[in-house]
Amino acid sequence: MIPLRIVLLSAFLATSPNAIAENGGPTGGRTIEMRVDGLVCAFCAQGVSKKLAAQPSIEDVFVDLERGLVAVALRTGLDINDETLRETLTAAGYSLRQVERRTESLTELRARLEASRK
Amino acid sequence: MHPAAPRKQPRRKARLPALRLAFLALGLAATGAALAKPIAFQGGTTVMAEYGAGTMIEAQAFHAPSYRWSVGLGQLRLDADDESFSRDITYSRVNILVGRRNRPQSQANAFAWAGLGTADSSDDQGERLALNAGGQIDHETLRFYSSLRTDWHHSTSRFSHRIDTAQLGWAPYPHNWDRVATWFVVQGRNFTGGLYEDIEGALLLRLFRNGRSSAFWIEAGMTQDGRLQSMFMLNF
Repeated sequence: MIPLRIVLLSAFLATSPNAIAENGGPTGGRTIEMRVDGLVCAFCAQGVSKKLAAQPSIEDVFVDLERGLVAVALRTGLDINDETLRETLTAAGYSLRQVERRTESLTELRARLEASRK
Repeated sequence: MHPAAPRKQPRRKARLPALRLAFLALGLAATGAALAKPIAFQGGTTVMAEYGAGTMIEAQAFHAPSYRWSVGLGQLRLDADDESFSRDITYSRVNILVGRRNRPQSQANAFAWAGLGTADSSDDQGERLALNAGGQIDHETLRFYSSLRTDWHHSTSRFSHRIDTAQLGWAPYPHNWDRVATWFVVQGRNFTGGLYEDIEGALLLRLFRNGRSSAFWIEAGMTQDGRLQSMFMLNF
Protein backbone atom coordinates (compact mmCIF):
# COMPACT_ATOMS: atom_id res chain seq x y z
CA MET A 1 0.00 0.00 0.00
CA ILE A 2 1.43 3.36 -1.02
CA PRO A 3 2.13 5.60 1.96
CA LEU A 4 -0.33 8.51 2.20
CA ARG A 5 2.48 11.05 2.28
CA ILE A 6 3.77 9.82 -1.07
CA VAL A 7 0.30 10.03 -2.55
CA LEU A 8 -0.19 13.54 -1.23
CA LEU A 9 3.26 14.63 -2.42
CA SER A 10 2.62 13.20 -5.87
CA ALA A 11 -0.72 14.95 -6.08
CA PHE A 12 0.90 18.23 -5.05
CA LEU A 13 3.63 17.91 -7.68
CA ALA A 14 1.15 16.92 -10.36
CA THR A 15 -0.97 19.98 -9.74
CA SER A 16 1.83 22.51 -9.43
CA PRO A 17 1.76 25.28 -12.07
CA ASN A 18 4.87 24.06 -13.85
CA ALA A 19 3.61 20.52 -14.10
CA ILE A 20 0.28 21.64 -15.45
CA ALA A 21 1.95 23.91 -17.96
CA GLU A 22 4.15 21.11 -19.22
CA ASN A 23 1.21 18.78 -19.50
CA GLY A 24 -0.81 21.39 -21.37
CA GLY A 25 -3.30 21.70 -18.54
CA PRO A 26 -5.42 24.65 -17.38
CA THR A 27 -2.65 27.11 -16.55
CA GLY A 28 -0.78 26.78 -19.83
CA GLY A 29 -0.30 24.97 -23.05
CA ARG A 30 -3.44 26.12 -24.86
CA THR A 31 -2.66 28.01 -27.98
CA ILE A 32 -4.45 28.87 -31.16
CA GLU A 33 -2.35 28.88 -34.28
CA MET A 34 -3.64 30.89 -37.22
CA ARG A 35 -2.53 31.21 -40.80
CA VAL A 36 -3.04 34.80 -41.86
CA ASP A 37 -2.83 36.31 -45.33
CA GLY A 38 -1.27 39.70 -46.04
CA LEU A 39 1.12 39.55 -43.11
CA VAL A 40 4.22 40.94 -44.79
CA CYS A 41 5.20 44.04 -42.86
CA ALA A 42 5.88 44.31 -39.13
CA PHE A 43 5.26 48.06 -39.13
CA CYS A 44 1.84 47.68 -40.67
CA ALA A 45 1.01 44.48 -38.78
CA GLN A 46 1.49 46.06 -35.38
CA GLY A 47 -2.28 46.22 -35.16
CA VAL A 48 -2.47 42.42 -35.12
CA SER A 49 -0.74 42.09 -31.77
CA LYS A 50 -2.49 45.11 -30.29
CA LYS A 51 -5.99 44.03 -31.20
CA LEU A 52 -5.45 40.39 -30.20
CA ALA A 53 -3.79 41.36 -26.93
CA ALA A 54 -6.82 43.49 -26.14
CA GLN A 55 -9.04 40.39 -26.14
CA PRO A 56 -9.74 39.35 -22.53
CA SER A 57 -9.17 35.67 -23.22
CA ILE A 58 -5.73 36.15 -24.79
CA GLU A 59 -2.63 36.16 -22.62
CA ASP A 60 0.12 36.47 -25.19
CA VAL A 61 0.56 36.89 -28.92
CA PHE A 62 3.26 35.60 -31.23
CA VAL A 63 3.66 36.63 -34.86
CA ASP A 64 5.86 34.98 -37.46
CA LEU A 65 5.86 37.02 -40.66
CA GLU A 66 7.85 34.54 -42.72
CA ARG A 67 5.28 31.83 -42.12
CA GLY A 68 2.28 34.14 -42.14
CA LEU A 69 1.47 32.78 -38.72
CA VAL A 70 -0.15 34.33 -35.68
CA ALA A 71 -0.41 32.34 -32.46
CA VAL A 72 -2.10 33.27 -29.22
CA ALA A 73 -1.89 31.80 -25.76
CA LEU A 74 -5.21 31.60 -23.95
CA ARG A 75 -5.75 32.64 -20.38
CA THR A 76 -6.67 29.95 -17.92
CA GLY A 77 -10.26 28.91 -18.24
CA LEU A 78 -11.00 31.29 -21.12
CA ASP A 79 -11.44 30.76 -24.80
CA ILE A 80 -12.20 32.73 -27.95
CA ASN A 81 -14.25 31.57 -30.90
CA ASP A 82 -13.07 31.50 -34.47
CA GLU A 83 -15.47 34.22 -35.59
CA THR A 84 -14.10 36.67 -33.05
CA LEU A 85 -10.59 35.85 -34.19
CA ARG A 86 -11.60 36.46 -37.79
CA GLU A 87 -13.23 39.80 -36.96
CA THR A 88 -10.21 40.88 -34.91
CA LEU A 89 -7.77 40.10 -37.68
CA THR A 90 -10.01 41.74 -40.27
CA ALA A 91 -10.12 44.89 -38.13
CA ALA A 92 -6.32 44.81 -38.16
CA GLY A 93 -6.39 44.65 -41.97
CA TYR A 94 -5.64 40.97 -42.59
CA SER A 95 -7.40 37.81 -43.66
CA LEU A 96 -7.70 34.72 -41.51
CA ARG A 97 -7.18 31.58 -43.57
CA GLN A 98 -6.88 28.74 -41.07
CA VAL A 99 -7.31 28.14 -37.35
CA GLU A 100 -5.78 25.28 -35.41
CA ARG A 101 -6.10 24.74 -31.68
CA ARG A 102 -3.17 23.15 -29.95
CA THR A 103 -2.33 21.86 -26.52
CA GLU A 104 1.29 22.98 -26.65
CA SER A 105 2.32 26.22 -24.96
CA LEU A 106 3.35 29.29 -26.86
CA THR A 107 6.92 28.69 -25.72
CA GLU A 108 6.81 25.18 -27.14
CA LEU A 109 5.33 26.45 -30.36
CA ARG A 110 8.09 29.03 -30.72
CA ALA A 111 10.73 26.40 -30.02
CA ARG A 112 9.21 24.11 -32.64
CA LEU A 113 9.21 26.84 -35.24
CA GLU A 114 12.76 27.83 -34.40
CA ALA A 115 13.91 24.24 -34.69
CA SER A 116 12.28 23.88 -38.08
CA ARG A 117 14.04 27.03 -39.27
CA LYS A 118 17.49 25.51 -38.74
CA MET B 1 22.44 103.97 -69.45
CA HIS B 2 21.77 100.51 -68.27
CA PRO B 3 18.29 99.70 -67.05
CA ALA B 4 18.25 98.75 -63.44
CA ALA B 5 18.35 95.02 -63.00
CA PRO B 6 14.95 93.83 -61.88
CA ARG B 7 14.96 93.31 -58.21
CA LYS B 8 14.29 89.72 -57.33
CA GLN B 9 11.22 89.70 -55.17
CA PRO B 10 12.38 88.41 -51.82
CA ARG B 11 10.74 85.16 -50.89
CA ARG B 12 8.34 85.97 -48.11
CA LYS B 13 8.70 83.45 -45.36
CA ALA B 14 5.10 82.56 -44.70
CA ARG B 15 4.95 82.08 -40.95
CA LEU B 16 2.34 79.78 -39.58
CA PRO B 17 -0.41 81.81 -37.91
CA ALA B 18 -0.86 80.94 -34.28
CA LEU B 19 -4.37 79.64 -34.90
CA ARG B 20 -3.21 77.19 -37.54
CA LEU B 21 -0.38 76.03 -35.32
CA ALA B 22 -2.83 75.47 -32.51
CA PHE B 23 -5.17 73.64 -34.86
CA LEU B 24 -2.39 71.40 -36.04
CA ALA B 25 -1.14 70.79 -32.51
CA LEU B 26 -4.67 69.92 -31.43
CA GLY B 27 -4.93 67.48 -34.24
CA LEU B 28 -1.63 65.86 -33.30
CA ALA B 29 -2.59 65.66 -29.63
CA ALA B 30 -6.03 64.29 -30.33
CA THR B 31 -4.85 61.69 -32.72
CA GLY B 32 -1.69 59.95 -32.38
CA ALA B 33 -0.27 56.63 -36.76
CA ALA B 34 0.98 58.18 -43.80
CA LEU B 35 3.17 56.59 -46.35
CA ALA B 36 3.71 53.56 -46.44
CA LYS B 37 -0.02 53.35 -45.86
CA PRO B 38 -2.33 56.17 -44.76
CA ILE B 39 -4.42 53.74 -42.70
CA ALA B 40 -2.74 51.72 -39.95
CA PHE B 41 -5.35 49.52 -38.27
CA GLN B 42 -8.66 49.99 -36.51
CA GLY B 43 -8.02 52.28 -33.58
CA GLY B 44 -4.50 53.01 -34.74
CA THR B 45 -2.85 56.39 -35.06
CA THR B 46 -0.04 57.41 -37.36
CA VAL B 47 2.14 60.50 -37.11
CA MET B 48 4.62 61.32 -39.82
CA ALA B 49 7.09 64.02 -40.73
CA GLU B 50 8.91 64.26 -44.04
CA TYR B 51 11.66 66.51 -45.33
CA GLY B 52 11.81 66.41 -49.09
CA ALA B 53 15.07 67.68 -50.49
CA GLY B 54 14.39 71.32 -49.82
CA THR B 55 11.26 71.22 -51.99
CA MET B 56 8.75 70.07 -49.44
CA ILE B 57 8.32 69.63 -45.73
CA GLU B 58 5.24 67.81 -44.52
CA ALA B 59 3.79 66.64 -41.23
CA GLN B 60 0.69 64.49 -40.88
CA ALA B 61 -1.30 62.79 -38.17
CA PHE B 62 -4.06 60.29 -38.86
CA HIS B 63 -6.39 58.17 -36.78
CA ALA B 64 -8.25 55.15 -38.13
CA PRO B 65 -11.63 54.42 -36.53
CA SER B 66 -11.84 51.52 -38.97
CA TYR B 67 -9.34 49.62 -41.06
CA ARG B 68 -11.23 50.98 -44.05
CA TRP B 69 -10.74 54.68 -43.37
CA SER B 70 -8.80 57.23 -41.41
CA VAL B 71 -9.02 60.95 -40.82
CA GLY B 72 -6.39 63.45 -39.96
CA LEU B 73 -4.55 66.68 -40.48
CA GLY B 74 -1.49 67.77 -42.37
CA GLN B 75 0.79 70.70 -42.89
CA LEU B 76 2.70 71.02 -46.14
CA ARG B 77 5.37 73.54 -47.02
CA LEU B 78 6.42 73.75 -50.67
CA ASP B 79 9.33 75.76 -52.01
CA ALA B 80 9.79 76.34 -55.72
CA ASP B 81 13.12 75.09 -57.00
CA ASP B 82 14.04 78.55 -58.28
CA GLU B 83 13.01 80.05 -54.95
CA SER B 84 10.47 82.23 -56.71
CA PHE B 85 7.76 81.38 -54.23
CA SER B 86 6.78 79.20 -51.32
CA ARG B 87 3.47 77.90 -50.17
CA ASP B 88 2.08 76.68 -46.87
CA ILE B 89 -0.95 74.43 -46.95
CA THR B 90 -2.82 73.25 -43.88
CA TYR B 91 -5.32 70.55 -44.62
CA SER B 92 -7.68 67.99 -43.23
CA ARG B 93 -8.06 64.72 -45.04
CA VAL B 94 -10.06 61.51 -45.14
CA ASN B 95 -8.28 58.39 -46.40
CA ILE B 96 -10.20 55.39 -47.70
CA LEU B 97 -9.06 51.87 -48.37
CA VAL B 98 -10.57 51.32 -51.80
CA GLY B 99 -9.42 47.75 -52.09
CA ARG B 100 -7.06 45.22 -50.56
CA ARG B 101 -5.88 41.81 -51.60
CA ASN B 102 -4.30 39.68 -48.93
CA ARG B 103 -2.36 36.65 -50.09
CA PRO B 104 -0.18 34.23 -48.08
CA GLN B 105 3.01 36.03 -49.13
CA SER B 106 1.83 39.46 -50.22
CA GLN B 107 -0.51 42.35 -49.76
CA ALA B 108 -1.76 44.79 -52.39
CA ASN B 109 -3.68 47.96 -51.61
CA ALA B 110 -5.47 50.83 -53.26
CA PHE B 111 -6.10 54.00 -51.26
CA ALA B 112 -7.79 57.27 -52.09
CA TRP B 113 -8.02 60.49 -50.14
CA ALA B 114 -9.54 63.92 -50.28
CA GLY B 115 -9.85 66.92 -48.08
CA LEU B 116 -9.97 70.66 -47.56
CA GLY B 117 -7.55 73.18 -46.22
CA THR B 118 -6.10 76.62 -46.53
CA ALA B 119 -3.11 77.80 -48.50
CA ASP B 120 -0.88 80.79 -47.96
CA SER B 121 1.56 81.62 -50.73
CA SER B 122 4.43 84.07 -50.83
CA ASP B 123 3.26 85.33 -54.23
CA ASP B 124 -0.28 85.95 -53.11
CA GLN B 125 -2.17 87.84 -50.48
CA GLY B 126 -4.12 86.11 -47.77
CA GLU B 127 -5.19 82.60 -47.13
CA ARG B 128 -7.18 80.71 -49.76
CA LEU B 129 -9.34 77.66 -49.66
CA ALA B 130 -7.45 74.65 -51.02
CA LEU B 131 -8.59 71.23 -52.05
CA ASN B 132 -6.45 68.14 -51.83
CA ALA B 133 -6.94 64.69 -53.27
CA GLY B 134 -4.87 61.73 -54.22
CA GLY B 135 -4.40 58.04 -54.35
CA GLN B 136 -1.94 55.26 -53.90
CA ILE B 137 -1.56 51.72 -55.07
CA ASP B 138 1.04 49.44 -53.61
CA HIS B 139 2.17 45.85 -53.55
CA GLU B 140 4.35 44.34 -50.90
CA THR B 141 6.04 41.09 -49.97
CA LEU B 142 8.65 40.49 -47.30
CA ARG B 143 11.39 41.31 -49.84
CA PHE B 144 9.92 43.65 -52.46
CA TYR B 145 7.82 46.77 -52.30
CA SER B 146 6.36 48.93 -55.06
CA SER B 147 4.02 51.87 -54.96
CA LEU B 148 2.60 54.65 -57.07
CA ARG B 149 1.17 57.69 -55.39
CA THR B 150 -0.23 61.03 -56.48
CA ASP B 151 -1.00 64.07 -54.34
CA TRP B 152 -2.92 66.98 -55.81
CA HIS B 153 -3.40 70.40 -54.20
CA HIS B 154 -5.63 72.95 -55.85
CA SER B 155 -6.89 76.41 -55.12
CA THR B 156 -9.16 77.84 -57.78
CA SER B 157 -7.49 80.57 -59.85
CA ARG B 158 -4.47 80.47 -57.55
CA PHE B 159 -2.52 77.30 -57.98
CA SER B 160 -2.79 73.70 -58.91
CA HIS B 161 0.03 71.29 -58.46
CA ARG B 162 0.55 67.63 -58.20
CA ILE B 163 3.29 65.47 -56.73
CA ASP B 164 3.62 62.01 -58.23
CA THR B 165 5.82 59.51 -56.43
CA ALA B 166 6.96 56.07 -57.47
CA GLN B 167 8.89 53.78 -55.16
CA LEU B 168 10.60 50.44 -55.55
CA GLY B 169 11.99 48.76 -52.48
CA TRP B 170 14.13 45.76 -51.79
CA ALA B 171 14.88 44.10 -48.46
CA PRO B 172 18.20 42.26 -48.20
CA TYR B 173 16.62 39.91 -45.66
CA PRO B 174 13.03 39.05 -44.73
CA HIS B 175 12.43 40.80 -41.39
CA ASN B 176 10.45 39.26 -38.63
CA TRP B 177 8.27 40.65 -35.92
CA ASP B 178 10.82 41.72 -33.36
CA ARG B 179 13.72 42.59 -35.66
CA VAL B 180 14.70 45.78 -37.42
CA ALA B 181 13.58 45.70 -41.01
CA THR B 182 15.97 47.13 -43.58
CA TRP B 183 14.92 48.32 -47.00
CA PHE B 184 16.68 50.02 -49.88
CA VAL B 185 14.26 52.19 -51.80
CA VAL B 186 14.55 53.94 -55.13
CA GLN B 187 12.16 56.84 -55.47
CA GLY B 188 11.17 59.03 -58.36
CA ARG B 189 9.13 62.13 -57.78
CA ASN B 190 7.56 64.47 -60.31
CA PHE B 191 6.23 67.91 -59.42
CA THR B 192 3.85 69.97 -61.52
CA GLY B 193 2.73 73.55 -61.08
CA GLY B 194 6.08 75.27 -61.23
CA LEU B 195 7.58 73.68 -58.16
CA TYR B 196 10.39 71.69 -59.72
CA GLU B 197 11.31 71.30 -63.34
CA ASP B 198 12.73 67.83 -63.40
CA ILE B 199 12.04 64.40 -62.04
CA GLU B 200 13.60 64.12 -58.64
CA GLY B 201 15.24 60.80 -57.99
CA ALA B 202 16.35 59.59 -54.58
CA LEU B 203 17.97 56.57 -53.04
CA LEU B 204 16.71 55.87 -49.54
CA LEU B 205 17.51 53.62 -46.62
CA ARG B 206 14.42 52.63 -44.68
CA LEU B 207 14.48 51.07 -41.23
CA PHE B 208 11.49 50.13 -39.13
CA ARG B 209 10.83 48.12 -36.07
CA ASN B 210 7.85 46.93 -34.16
CA GLY B 211 7.72 47.55 -30.43
CA ARG B 212 5.35 46.48 -27.74
CA SER B 213 3.11 49.52 -27.96
CA SER B 214 4.24 51.28 -31.10
CA ALA B 215 6.14 50.84 -34.32
CA PHE B 216 8.61 53.35 -35.69
CA TRP B 217 9.94 53.98 -39.15
CA ILE B 218 12.84 56.12 -40.23
CA GLU B 219 13.99 56.76 -43.74
CA ALA B 220 16.81 58.86 -45.12
CA GLY B 221 18.66 59.27 -48.34
CA MET B 222 19.84 61.62 -51.02
CA THR B 223 18.44 62.91 -54.29
CA GLN B 224 20.44 62.81 -57.48
CA ASP B 225 21.69 66.32 -56.79
CA GLY B 226 22.82 65.60 -53.27
CA ARG B 227 19.88 66.90 -51.27
CA LEU B 228 18.57 65.21 -48.17
CA GLN B 229 15.30 63.31 -48.22
CA SER B 230 14.09 61.93 -44.89
CA MET B 231 10.97 60.74 -43.14
CA PHE B 232 9.96 59.61 -39.69
CA MET B 233 6.76 57.78 -38.87
CA LEU B 234 5.23 56.35 -35.74
CA ASN B 235 2.27 53.96 -35.46
CA PHE B 236 0.57 53.40 -32.14
